[in-house]
Amino acid sequence: MNYLKIALLSILTISFNSMAQDCEKIVKVCESYLTGSQGKTRFVSDGQVYTAFLDREKAEFKTTFYGGSTYRIAASAGSDDDFVIFSVKDPNGNVLFTNRNHKNSPYWDFKVPNTIPVTIETELDLDKKVTGCAVMLIGFKQ
Amino acid sequence: MKSTLYRIGLLSFGLFLFSCGGDDSSSETQKVDKEIIDPNQSLNTNFDGKIFSIPSPVQTALLIKQVNLPFDQSLLNPTENAKKYATEQKQALNLGIYGTDLGYSALYKQKSVSLKYLSVVEKLTGQLGLEGAFDKTFMSKFEKYSDDQDSMMVIVSDAFRKADNFLKSSNRKSTSALILTGGWIESLHFACALNKQKPNAKITERIGEQQQTLTTIIEILEEYNKDGSNDELIKDMKNLKIEFDKVVVDYQFVEPKTDAKNKTTTLQHKITYKINADILNQITTKVQTIRNNILK
Repeated sequence: MNYLKIALLSILTISFNSMAQDCEKIVKVCESYLTGSQGKTRFVSDGQVYTAFLDREKAEFKTTFYGGSTYRIAASAGSDDDFVIFSVKDPNGNVLFTNRNHKNSPYWDFKVPNTIPVTIETELDLDKKVTGCAVMLIGFKQ
Repeated sequence: MKSTLYRIGLLSFGLFLFSCGGDDSSSETQKVDKEIIDPNQSLNTNFDGKIFSIPSPVQTALLIKQVNLPFDQSLLNPTENAKKYATEQKQALNLGIYGTDLGYSALYKQKSVSLKYLSVVEKLTGQLGLEGAFDKTFMSKFEKYSDDQDSMMVIVSDAFRKADNFLKSSNRKSTSALILTGGWIESLHFACALNKQKPNAKITERIGEQQQTLTTIIEILEEYNKDGSNDELIKDMKNLKIEFDKVVVDYQFVEPKTDAKNKTTTLQHKITYKINADILNQITTKVQTIRNNILK
C-alpha cells in the first residue's frame, strides 16, 4: 500500500514538474505578444506574470486599468495561439470584452479613457485543450 | 515490481524536493494532497495559488511627470538605509520601494540618482537570489538607454517581471507579494506627499483609484502570511482601508466600442472618485506611517 502511495506521489510530482516547465515555455510565447514586429517592445510590462494550471475551470483576478492608458492583455496556453479564452468584466459584472468572439485572439488592446477596476477571467477553450498551463501578461502604454 | 516502484518514488520525491526549494513548499504539498481528496476543490483551478494583480507603480510615476511636477529626491528612501535590511521580508518590501524609486528617477532622466538606486536594487536582488533578472544584459541596456524614457520603463519593468516569474516558479510567492506591496506603497507615498505639497486633481483622483488595489494588497499579504510575519503590515493596511472605504465611487456602464480589425476595444464608461480633504489627509498620514515602518 505504501508503494502505491509513493507511486501515486511520484506521478503527481513528475506531472507537477512537467507543468512548471510547460509554463516556462509558454511565458516566452506570451512575452512575444507584448513585443512589436521589429523586436522593439511597444508595451511596458506591469512587472508580473500570471500563471494558472486550468482544469475545466476558470481562473480570475481583479486589477485596475488607469485612465489615459492603452493596455494589452496577452494570453497563451501552448504553441497554438487560440487555446485561451479571456474576458474582461466591469465592476458590475458586465462583459466589456471576450476574445471568444474574436477567434480566441491571443492578445487584445484596450483604450481606457477613464480608470476602471476590472475582473479578468481566463479559461481554456475546451474544444481545443482540456487541461494545462495558461499564462497571461499585461502591458501598458501611455 | 515493488522495488521498481520504490525507486521511481524515491527519484521523483527527490526531484520534487529539488524543484520546491522555496519558502512555500510545504503548503504546496498540502495543496496537492487536498486536490487528491476532493477533485472539485477550487484549488484544482490552478496550482499556483490564487492570482493577484497590482498595477505597475511606474504608471503613477508617469502621471506625476505628466502633470509637470518637478523631480523631488527627498521623496525617495535614502540608499544608505539598504544596509539595515537583514530579513527577507524587509529586503523584499524595500526592493519594491527602491525599484519604484529607480523607475521614478529614471523617468526624470536623473542619471546619477538612478545609478545609485540601481546599485541598491542590485544589492537587494543579490541578497534575495534574484541576480538573473538584473544581469549584465540588463545593466548594459540600462546604461545604453538611460536618456530614453520609454526604453527605461520597458527595461526596468521587464527586469521586475523576470524577478516575479522566477519567484513564482520557484514557490517564493510570499517574496513576490512583498516586492509588489513595497512598490505600491512607494507610488502611493509619492502621490500623497506631492499632493500635500501642491494639490492636483489628477493626483487626488489617482489616490482614490487605489481602493481596489488596497483590497488586493491585503488579500495577497494574508494569502502568503508566512509564520504571521505579515500580521503587523496587514493590520496597518486594514487601518488604511477604513479611509479608502470612505471614497465614493460612482460608476456608469456604457457599451464599449470594439475595432476587430485592429484588435482594439475602447472603453466608454463614466466613473468619478469623490474624496474629501479630511479623507485625503487621513490617507496621507496612514501611508506615511506604513512606509516609515517598512523603511525602519
